[in-house]
Amino acid sequence: MSSSSLVAAGGARTSWTPESTLPRRVREHARSTPDRVTLREKNLGVWEEVTCAGYWDSAVLVGHALLALGTGVGDRVAVHSENRREWLYADIGTVAIRAVTVGLYPTNPAAEVLHVLRDSGAAVLIAEDQEQVDKALEVVDDLPDLRHIVYIEPRGITGRYTDRRLMSWEEFLALGAAHRSEHPGAVDRLVDEAEPGDVATLVYTSGTTGPPKGAMLTIANIEFATSIFRQEGSGFVTATPKDLIVSYLPLCHVAERAFTVWLNAASGTQVNFAESIDTVQQALRDVQPTIVFGVPRIWEKIVAGVHIRMSGASRLKRANFALWLKAADWIGSTLVANRGRHTLATRLVYAVGWLVLYRPLRERLGLGKARYAASGAAPIAPEVLKFFMGIGVPMHEVYGMTENSAIATGNRPGRVVLGTVGEPQVGTELRLDEQTGEVLTRHPGTFAGYWRNPEATAKTIDADGWLRTGDVGEWVDGTHLRITDRIKDIIITAGGKNIAPSEIENHLKASPYIKEAIVIGDRRKYLTALIGIELDTVGEWAQRQRIPFTTYRDLSEKSEVRKLVQGIVDETNRRFAEVETIKRFALLPKQLDHEDGELTATQKVKRSAIADQFAELIEGLYSETVGAGR
Amino acid sequence: MSTPSRTPTSSPSPRPASVATAPGPTRHRPVRGRPRLRTSYAQDLALLNTPAKRRSTIALVVVSFLVPFLVTDDLLLVFTLGLIASVGTIGLNLVTGYAGQVSLGHAFFIGVGAYTGAILGGSEDASVVGYGLPMLVWLPAAGLVAALLGALVGPIAVRLRGLYLAIVTLGLVFLGDHVFREADSLTGGPGVGRRGAQLEILGIDFNASGMLLGLEISRAQRQFFLALVFLIVFAVLARNLTRSGVGRAFAAVRDRDVAAEVIGIDITRTKMLAFALSSFFAGVTGAMYYAVIGVFEPGAFGLLLSVQYLAMVLIGGVATISGSIMGALFITALPRISQELAHVVPFISESATGGGLLSVFQLEAILYGLLIVGFLIFEPRGLYGIWLRIRNYWKGWPFSY
Repeated sequence: MSSSSLVAAGGARTSWTPESTLPRRVREHARSTPDRVTLREKNLGVWEEVTCAGYWDSAVLVGHALLALGTGVGDRVAVHSENRREWLYADIGTVAIRAVTVGLYPTNPAAEVLHVLRDSGAAVLIAEDQEQVDKALEVVDDLPDLRHIVYIEPRGITGRYTDRRLMSWEEFLALGAAHRSEHPGAVDRLVDEAEPGDVATLVYTSGTTGPPKGAMLTIANIEFATSIFRQEGSGFVTATPKDLIVSYLPLCHVAERAFTVWLNAASGTQVNFAESIDTVQQALRDVQPTIVFGVPRIWEKIVAGVHIRMSGASRLKRANFALWLKAADWIGSTLVANRGRHTLATRLVYAVGWLVLYRPLRERLGLGKARYAASGAAPIAPEVLKFFMGIGVPMHEVYGMTENSAIATGNRPGRVVLGTVGEPQVGTELRLDEQTGEVLTRHPGTFAGYWRNPEATAKTIDADGWLRTGDVGEWVDGTHLRITDRIKDIIITAGGKNIAPSEIENHLKASPYIKEAIVIGDRRKYLTALIGIELDTVGEWAQRQRIPFTTYRDLSEKSEVRKLVQGIVDETNRRFAEVETIKRFALLPKQLDHEDGELTATQKVKRSAIADQFAELIEGLYSETVGAGR
Repeated sequence: MSTPSRTPTSSPSPRPASVATAPGPTRHRPVRGRPRLRTSYAQDLALLNTPAKRRSTIALVVVSFLVPFLVTDDLLLVFTLGLIASVGTIGLNLVTGYAGQVSLGHAFFIGVGAYTGAILGGSEDASVVGYGLPMLVWLPAAGLVAALLGALVGPIAVRLRGLYLAIVTLGLVFLGDHVFREADSLTGGPGVGRRGAQLEILGIDFNASGMLLGLEISRAQRQFFLALVFLIVFAVLARNLTRSGVGRAFAAVRDRDVAAEVIGIDITRTKMLAFALSSFFAGVTGAMYYAVIGVFEPGAFGLLLSVQYLAMVLIGGVATISGSIMGALFITALPRISQELAHVVPFISESATGGGLLSVFQLEAILYGLLIVGFLIFEPRGLYGIWLRIRNYWKGWPFSY
């Protein structure tokens, strides 16, 4: 089972050549449908629209401006901003002049900004606002390559900052306009000269274990990914210009880049940006996107939010919700059994439920018109997926990583197997390593290597071009892939049992009350867990139970809260074998945070950091006499 | 993306005179199927800014036009008067609800309108003056004369507030009452009265029955249609007024006139405008209402009428247009409702002198009082508030907030 190599129809690795590039595709849209709206951004309560022609024009202007600043072929341009139109202009403009885009997470603290900027050797930094400019200026002395910093929001910067490298977005574009009138067609020429092997972007991995590494994605890599988006029945949704998406996850992450920039270039989807990260829920309601991509944390939060708001609803509404949620659960289970296809009975029940719950609920969540929803980038609890399938959101778990341009496997509409990440994409060769069970992929989207890091590259890509994903997987039904865990995270207990912690963790996290769960037990007698409660839901719960509390720490130390979590842990334990049960747990005294180095920018837990930070807490779980810690 | 601030210091990089910005929004067409995706402020401010509002408004208008074919003529007359009174209520709501100037003088302005209309549009006979002018003249004239008098009250309102203003406007009612009673040649005098204006427009006589547009349409049906169109025109007018700058100025003055003045609102002008507009609405209402009633006498324009309109505003909903309509319809239908109650409840007699515990008129008076007290205590936002609660219950579905 494990060694079966599976080659889906459509692609031998060698015969594949890219037909276009991202800038060429954007230009093509601008020429064929110049007046079609392709970007929207909400500002001061109004969705401002940008046409295809406007998008390309701005990107060209950025390209000219970069040329005017002396950016050459292969130079790196860093973007440090929340999702907004300028991100896309900068990305396409950079790739258009054959330079390389480097994205930074808006939440990156100065130390990580330093690492990424120094490692990539970026010559130009496009920073969103004073906050990001401050981070860069804090470390600017260690960045000899950084020549220019362009800021998009002038508030707090103009007139107060004197650094010679600073320049406003308007000045930057004015440079571009001047350059364009002097050298018309310079950008267009470079767009036409682009070669498949050009590195288009460096995507820094989130770095759960070490410092982030920059994965080089070439034009050919990205073209392979876009070809998957454009191909009917390829495993992803086939998007059209009528599709709307809301771009809200960090654009420097490969998944969001694929769903926002690449999908837009490939299929002309309409991309919508919220006013800020805090108003994403509102934006989803406004836009009612047809294609939605979310990471597990987002989907879990939506489910938790539904439960919170429901608990404050009137009696009749609660009863209605409970009844139809039960129906949704049944529909979800039937769909799961049927690989995501409806039966007559589910259709009938769904039709009634649609009237009284599912339609208004989906509408409120912004999923009213969602025809394809996907979860990826981290493992998700099947319960969460089932919830969405039950209320009628066609939810698909997909799998991919930066190093293979986010293309590996996906659940295809109508062929969904819950708990798996689906079938290999068209043109993707995928096999499991004979010894370790590690998932290996090979296709034209496999990255060109880590930036200035040949050793890490050699460890990741073998001589035959197989990419080591670092994930352990197994086949389900011979067609679908199930990811067990990260290979590094597999726990081997003192008794010699191999345990995949993420499965247990996701079960715990499926509860709306639990935000973070870290299972511990490597070379230990039994499993324990560190659990972080979800402040919103538990706070709401405590209020209803009339338990007074002040802070997160105070709340998590309440004996009632412990009891609540104990119940969830017991419930989870019942589903697992004896060795996989959590014997004891401790509640985290603080919310995990990126700034404190406990989470990566993508909100993934850094296990080693946690182990250090809470060493005392963990030792307490093993040293005390059993029962005393409860 | 705003242009760089004007701070002159310490910006070493060149700042070009003409700043090229990214092409901004180009079109403002709404996105189909996504009413909340507003691409311009105009869409946000639109009168009917959601499809639900559009659909329900169209449905309501269509149903309203079908009403005459569904109910009997005597009930139809009640509705007709209710629709006309709605315009007067909207008028009072403009000055009292939106602009916050308590007015007890509404009956006076209605009277002025009624007599202006009757004099200009009525026929001359032995005792009273009448010019028999067409409706297109007497209806606006009735409004304008009332508005003129209303504008004269405005400056008083600048000096007085609250209770004092109420007393002053109350004075108007007594002045009017006296003048109406004494001017025999215009009003017919107390106990006699005179006929209202002729309801005839575009060659259609609304006091006659007969074939119209190929349909047999009775007098009551014709008058209902006239009243409905009359109401729609003035309701839309008022709605647009209240969501424009004038309406916002009214609200600012209501909430705190000193603060309103500080932000640059001309108080005198605004208060005068409020009274003038309100009186215009009252004037046209008076002319229409008594044209439909037929014969009316000066005693009709006493304090009771003012109170009745205030009750419509309070029960309907302060500072709402649709509430005004609901309140007016409800209060005009109240006599009819108490009559119907008398059929059902045993101890109520149907005549003033008959046996039983209560007569219908007493019942009506009691209901009046109870309704006003009840609404003020339990739902100060009036009938509109009740509607709002129902709507929000479903709007929030499946959540409560």
